[in-house]
Amino acid sequence: MIEILFQALLVTPFLWILFLGLLFFTKLPVPERYLSEGVKYFSFFMALVGLALWAATFAEAPRFLLLDYEDWITVGEYRFKTRFIVDLLGATYAFLTCALIGIIFKFSRNYLHREEGYFRFVFLLSILLFGLIIVSFARSLDLLFAGWELVGTTSVLLISYFYTQNQPVRHALKAIVTYRICDMGLLAASAWAHHFLHSTDFYLIPALVREQHHGAQLGVRFIGIFIVWASLAKAGQLPMSSWLPTAMEGPTPSSAIFYGALSVHLGPFLLLRFYDFLSQFPGLLVLIGAIGFASAAYASLVGRTRSDAKTMLAYATITQVGIIYLEIALGFTSFALFHMVAHASFRTYQFLRSSSLIQDFFENPTVEQDVRIDRPSPFGKYLTAEAKERLFIHALHGFHLDYFTGLLIRAVSAPANLYIRWEKYSMEVDRKFLKRILGRGRL
Amino acid sequence: MNPGNQGQASFEKILASIRTKLPIQNPLHGFVHNNVLQLFEGKDFHDAVREAGILYRANPYWPEQRYTDRFKEGKITEKDIFLAIEHYLGNYPAIPSLAMLGLSPKEFFYRLMFSELAFNDDDRARPYSPQPELLDSHLWDQCRRKMDGERLVLSRSPVKWRAKGYWEKHHNESFSLSIHPLVIRLISSYLDQGQSFWSNPFAEKGFWHFFRASLECTRDFATDWERVAAERLRSLRDRSPEEIIVLELSRKNIPEEVWESYLLEILFDLKGWAGMVNKLELEPWQATVKAPAIKLVDFLAALVVLEASIDDWHARAHSLDLTFIHGREETYELKSYQLALALYQITQSFKLDERWMQRFCGAELVRLIDEIDEAENLHRIRLWHEAYEHHYYREALEALSSHTQRARPRADLPSAQVLFCIDDREESVRRHLEEVDPDVRTYGVVGFFGVDMKFASLRSRRLVAQCPPVITPRRIVREVPQDPEHGVSFRKLHALRGGSDLSLYYNSRTLFRGFFSTIVLGVLSVVPMFSQIFFPRQSRVIAKKLLRLLSPSPKTELSIEQGEPGQGYTKKEMAQIVSTILKMCGFKAPVSTLVVLVGHGSSSSNNPFKQAYGCGACGGNAGIPNSRAFAKMANDPEVRRELALLGMDVPDETAFVSGFHDTCTDEFLFFDLENRPERHREDFERLRKNLKTVGERNAFERCQRFSSEEARASSAAAVKHVKERALDLAQPRPEYGHSSNALAIVGKRDLTRGLFLNRRSFLITYDWETEAGSDVLRNVILGAIPVCVNINMDYYFSCVDNDNFGCGSKLPLNLTSLLGVMTGSMSDLRIGLARQMVEIHEPIRNLTIIEAPLGRVREIFDGHPRLRNILRNHWMRLVVFDPETRTWWRFGHREFEVLELDLVPLRHFHDSTELVTKTQDDFAEIDA
Repeated sequence: MIEILFQALLVTPFLWILFLGLLFFTKLPVPERYLSEGVKYFSFFMALVGLALWAATFAEAPRFLLLDYEDWITVGEYRFKTRFIVDLLGATYAFLTCALIGIIFKFSRNYLHREEGYFRFVFLLSILLFGLIIVSFARSLDLLFAGWELVGTTSVLLISYFYTQNQPVRHALKAIVTYRICDMGLLAASAWAHHFLHSTDFYLIPALVREQHHGAQLGVRFIGIFIVWASLAKAGQLPMSSWLPTAMEGPTPSSAIFYGALSVHLGPFLLLRFYDFLSQFPGLLVLIGAIGFASAAYASLVGRTRSDAKTMLAYATITQVGIIYLEIALGFTSFALFHMVAHASFRTYQFLRSSSLIQDFFENPTVEQDVRIDRPSPFGKYLTAEAKERLFIHALHGFHLDYFTGLLIRAVSAPANLYIRWEKYSMEVDRKFLKRILGRGRL
Repeated sequence: MNPGNQGQASFEKILASIRTKLPIQNPLHGFVHNNVLQLFEGKDFHDAVREAGILYRANPYWPEQRYTDRFKEGKITEKDIFLAIEHYLGNYPAIPSLAMLGLSPKEFFYRLMFSELAFNDDDRARPYSPQPELLDSHLWDQCRRKMDGERLVLSRSPVKWRAKGYWEKHHNESFSLSIHPLVIRLISSYLDQGQSFWSNPFAEKGFWHFFRASLECTRDFATDWERVAAERLRSLRDRSPEEIIVLELSRKNIPEEVWESYLLEILFDLKGWAGMVNKLELEPWQATVKAPAIKLVDFLAALVVLEASIDDWHARAHSLDLTFIHGREETYELKSYQLALALYQITQSFKLDERWMQRFCGAELVRLIDEIDEAENLHRIRLWHEAYEHHYYREALEALSSHTQRARPRADLPSAQVLFCIDDREESVRRHLEEVDPDVRTYGVVGFFGVDMKFASLRSRRLVAQCPPVITPRRIVREVPQDPEHGVSFRKLHALRGGSDLSLYYNSRTLFRGFFSTIVLGVLSVVPMFSQIFFPRQSRVIAKKLLRLLSPSPKTELSIEQGEPGQGYTKKEMAQIVSTILKMCGFKAPVSTLVVLVGHGSSSSNNPFKQAYGCGACGGNAGIPNSRAFAKMANDPEVRRELALLGMDVPDETAFVSGFHDTCTDEFLFFDLENRPERHREDFERLRKNLKTVGERNAFERCQRFSSEEARASSAAAVKHVKERALDLAQPRPEYGHSSNALAIVGKRDLTRGLFLNRRSFLITYDWETEAGSDVLRNVILGAIPVCVNINMDYYFSCVDNDNFGCGSKLPLNLTSLLGVMTGSMSDLRIGLARQMVEIHEPIRNLTIIEAPLGRVREIFDGHPRLRNILRNHWMRLVVFDPETRTWWRFGHREFEVLELDLVPLRHFHDSTELVTKTQDDFAEIDA
């Protein structure tokens, strides 16, 4: 039963994307009406199956289902295994995905009505859905990576939805660079795991680690570090926070679904997937907790100074995701999952309603004219006026995160610069040398 | 040494002049339709939009493609083109060397419109016309020979004082990456009205202080050019912003006469923010909550300093001498080959031959090319636009004059008299009402019904100005509960709700409080989200019921009686207000027993532009309080007695009822019905029933413009559909507002009754027979025409270039500082209307048609400065139908001229509903 539901959940979006892709490449004009009808049935079906699967897994929990399908790719000794794990964590995330994307699809039906890019939007959101289903149920890092990339790519393409303008494209570039940096972490984790444990199977890894208690421990710990690193970009945690607030360039529903709900929570989701493994290394948990706490504190301070609806919500999201990191570090995994679901729904709603703010304030009976809205802070009294001003300015500038990441990048790229300089130098030497041998005029 | 000592004095003057060119948009909560270029009205329309187009970096007309498309579709005809050229010729000087071509000006312009000239392309991206194919190689050789060794520097070659363009072109610099993010972050935080959690601690100290503190504080972590700026500010520590601007300008050796244009160019990089700063400085009461201490000069100085720093930094980094960059000339030059190509195109386009060419020497031909290039640039698109307008004007006037032949006055006693707003959206409502009940008479008056007031609603603590924005209301009218106790408890509950909304807004975004609210409300928020998105109508009904259960709204009335100073009106004033409006409507005996005043407003959700859909005459709010106040005044026996003294007899049995029309949902509401005498019950119930039918029919008519198949098919579905539109969070087009408005007709309803105008006309009632002088007409015109022109022009500009005059697509909009919207995560504050609001608009200047003796109209237009400007400078078109002589007069270039109109038979339909399903015509006769 669960397997059939799972298969339906996996195959339907795949076929749907294939279908849309065919339409896309044949350049057949699809009337918006038919497309949005199709989307309606598709998303309704997905939500229904998602719900059924979640209910079934919930009833079965804590037992879960391991599925083994044929190898996808075989290269020499390496076999890319298509293995899935259908457990409560995955099913919850998959259901959340189906439900929220269903809501977003319905929302966009009117919101993007008469919009040229409606087809593109639907196509990209469908790919996102497929990617998230893979991520939810993937049992190995290799497979998860595939879904992870689909999510990243669609995210970037939707930031640059208005690709004829400069700023969306620029911010999409910023997002993709950040993603890439952290995707290296995921790749590295995968390579490391293959090297030390000969497997990237989430289900097997903890046991393998326990068996190989000694010997490879230092190397194994690196897998954990890489995993944490990989999770930072999507979740917008420090030091990878600065792209998220600038990613609000697409249509509101896409900002809502990616940066209020599904894409940002992939960070904590990855950590939860690896929790059994990570929890064997207290140091790693401290690291996760520290990152979460720092990000939450950072984003909540910066967010307080932001005066536009979407950027403000972006910082609020980073704050809550930071808290979720902290919860995971402290071992409250079920609570963290609940927090993720609650937060995703809550933020989506806030994003979608973000255009109502002026009206809300204007009609609010407690907001008067000529009376500045004042919110005394509980910590305000410990700060002098001057310190408050300085804190405000620094927070307004995001505590110069870009400056510090710039320093970091310069430090990291210093060896590369050296290498380039060496390359230039050696070419020059070659040149001189050749000139001497071959004489002038020959080069 | 102070280089700017004399500069200082003239700087004040320059600043004052700069202020008159900045955008004038209000914060969005107080959005009113304005002519975006209201401050340019002193100049001829075409010249003004050209000048403003350069400032706004916008196209003041549609792209040419759209006009030629219309020509191909037959929506612009040859006849329109000739009319347009003829009309145009009188106003614009002909081209001096036209004689060379041997063409009459008329022919020249005609060929110019259809020529495919592509001499050169300049910076201001004129879309590439396709290069003409060279068919005649002999001619081409001749052209080459003729132009051998010639060159032409085109007349448009401005001196550039800003280095910005240079950096962009040669050094890959983009201000939207360097200066603008910093400035936008600072100014949006500084102007914030309470959207952010922390209010800006510098709000009372001035923007300049904030700017300096910010640069000083962050210099250790800043980029290179910001550091340069910080150093610069340090060295200028004890100078005022004005001095700094003058200093910087003098340092760049910019001549004083270009200061203004230089500074304007800088400000127009961020025109929305600059306009908002200017607005809040000059009219701080317009702020959503409270305006901070802000000065335009502070903002300008910040921009100037940053730009100077970035100039210096670039110059230093690339070892460049700035003196070569400031004041450089960028010429557009045509070389021999291009000139030959131009000549070839001219001979082809104007049907000339090689023999013609031989008659002139090279220099003469070069001059001709220059002139034709200039003419093409200036006149071609204008002519297309005028031809396009003429097509509609001609149709409208012919339809109207044919209709007047048929119109017959009705003298019988009406069963009810219904006063609507002049709004173009009420045109269809009035038409439907007259079809449903031919005994009803309808009138169009300005929707605030002459009651200018600050309204204090029971639900709000702020006073809302319920009148046109040009009037400053002095009286306060309060909504008071009939049962004071209930009122108190309602207020308490309501305030509680407001307080909790506000605290949820702020606290859901912070750390600890955010955590708790997320945990508690997170999963619950799915319920409202799901129901509002999937079942907008039903969820609204349930929410309303719940709310009514929790805190039932008390029955209220308006306290219009004079109380403490500034409160309410005296009976005399009330009588004055009532009689003015009734006179405008031309009320005379018989007055029917039932007079209904229908204010209007529009409901929509999740819509930052809500005010733009409301009643323009009530400052974008709903007209409910005004119609309630008016009805209450008119029903007062004492006021009736005063009215009688003013010569306006209203029978005792006449009752005034206040009503409201929601233009989005097409529902009608009525207020204060308790005091209505019993004997009107039947009349009123019938009217109410009729209006319900009218609402349904109107919804059906409106739905023909929407793309929902279902709603287009049946009126029941249409009624549901329009309601859903108003409540749908995801709906970027709750209604189409004033889209496609083009006409304003002042006169008796008999003139237009039975004529289908496709919701494109403002209808203003005026009966020329009721007065001998022109006082009432003056009131009518001054109250209505400027508003119509404002609305028309607002739509015009947002429509022709939505990215630069308007606010772009609604999809990525991001509300900021509670003042306006930005696009995406950060941008200039957007002005104008969103693309989704104007996408079906037709950018046609308003044509006003007045039925009144010509002398009266002329006197009024001459006597009012703004009206004179907009008329003489062609921001609107005016036609007068003189009922005494039954002649049509058109205002030409400087004077009225007689207008001969053809009579065209219009198509006849039984009623509007039949009409809209069968035709897309703008005009038709209705027999019902």
